[in-house]
Amino acid sequence: MTTKKKILVILSVGIIIAVAVALYMFNKPARDVQATKTDFSYKASEIVNEYLTDAKKANDKYLDEEGNSKVLEITGTVAEISEDFNNQKVILIKAAADKAGVSATFTKETNSHTENIKVGDEITVKGVIRSGASFDADLEMYENVILDKSDIVSK
Amino acid sequence: MKKVFLTIIALVIISLTAVAQKQTTTKTHFKFFSTTPAENIEANNYASVGTIDPSTGDIVFSVPMQSFEFEKALMQEHFNSKKFLNTKTNPKAKLTGKIVNLDKVNFKNDGSYTADIEGDLTINGVTNPIKEKATISVKDGKLSLDSKFNLTLADYKVAFKGGKPSTNIAKTVEVTVSVNY
Repeated sequence: MTTKKKILVILSVGIIIAVAVALYMFNKPARDVQATKTDFSYKASEIVNEYLTDAKKANDKYLDEEGNSKVLEITGTVAEISEDFNNQKVILIKAAADKAGVSATFTKETNSHTENIKVGDEITVKGVIRSGASFDADLEMYENVILDKSDIVSK
Repeated sequence: MKKVFLTIIALVIISLTAVAQKQTTTKTHFKFFSTTPAENIEANNYASVGTIDPSTGDIVFSVPMQSFEFEKALMQEHFNSKKFLNTKTNPKAKLTGKIVNLDKVNFKNDGSYTADIEGDLTINGVTNPIKEKATISVKDGKLSLDSKFNLTLADYKVAFKGGKPSTNIAKTVEVTVSVNY
């Protein structure tokens, strides 16, 4: 093989790899939260209090710059069960004495796992944190910690 | 007779305050839509909290920015990153507005009303005044709000120089809001 041919082969292999990587990056599937290892496990009150004490510090700890934020398992009492505009189940886990709770949004795939859950049940959910709890002076209310892509964790 | 009269007055006041009271909802849908010759990009958010106070016309929304879902994971990462909306530092967008033509919106009668809303919108830590129209519908005492408006990304310091995003994301994006109170 001549040197010229060698360079040509190396170059074409390089281009093929670059295109493959670019295509993979562009079409990278959304993160599978349920398949991701849990970063932290808390009672609902613990994460709520952490946020109400120092929201900035908590955001630093839990939120990711590219939105791939921490995966949490939250245990507590079901205070409310509802459905969002996308027909996803939303379960609010909140201790009666707390100012805010953890609102966990399920997915089309995990919605059915909430069927037997009732208000008052003690459950554990796993999901990715989207935002923390805080008092909002304009809403005049406490906002809940928001979890997304949630599922029930059976113990 | 006096008792009956008082009871009727009390009932009327109770029913009026029930409608006039501030209402809170999480049944919300915010959509971003960007279109360029290269591609259409859409992101949806169902996790926002909103309030409406029919007596004062105050409208507030708090939008958790990381809850926007994109079709492609890479787009979602770009959206959240420091170059775009910096959602780690500014996890929430906020709208505080007031219906300025409150006399044109009858919260007590079923119907559909065009509300002129003026207020402030904070995205990416940047606050700008806004003036938009929304449709407020009343049905059986239940309120809903729908609106569609355009945002210029540069107004909120969402700038992107060079590279794919600069050609594939429109400079002005369309925002659609649907809310059931």
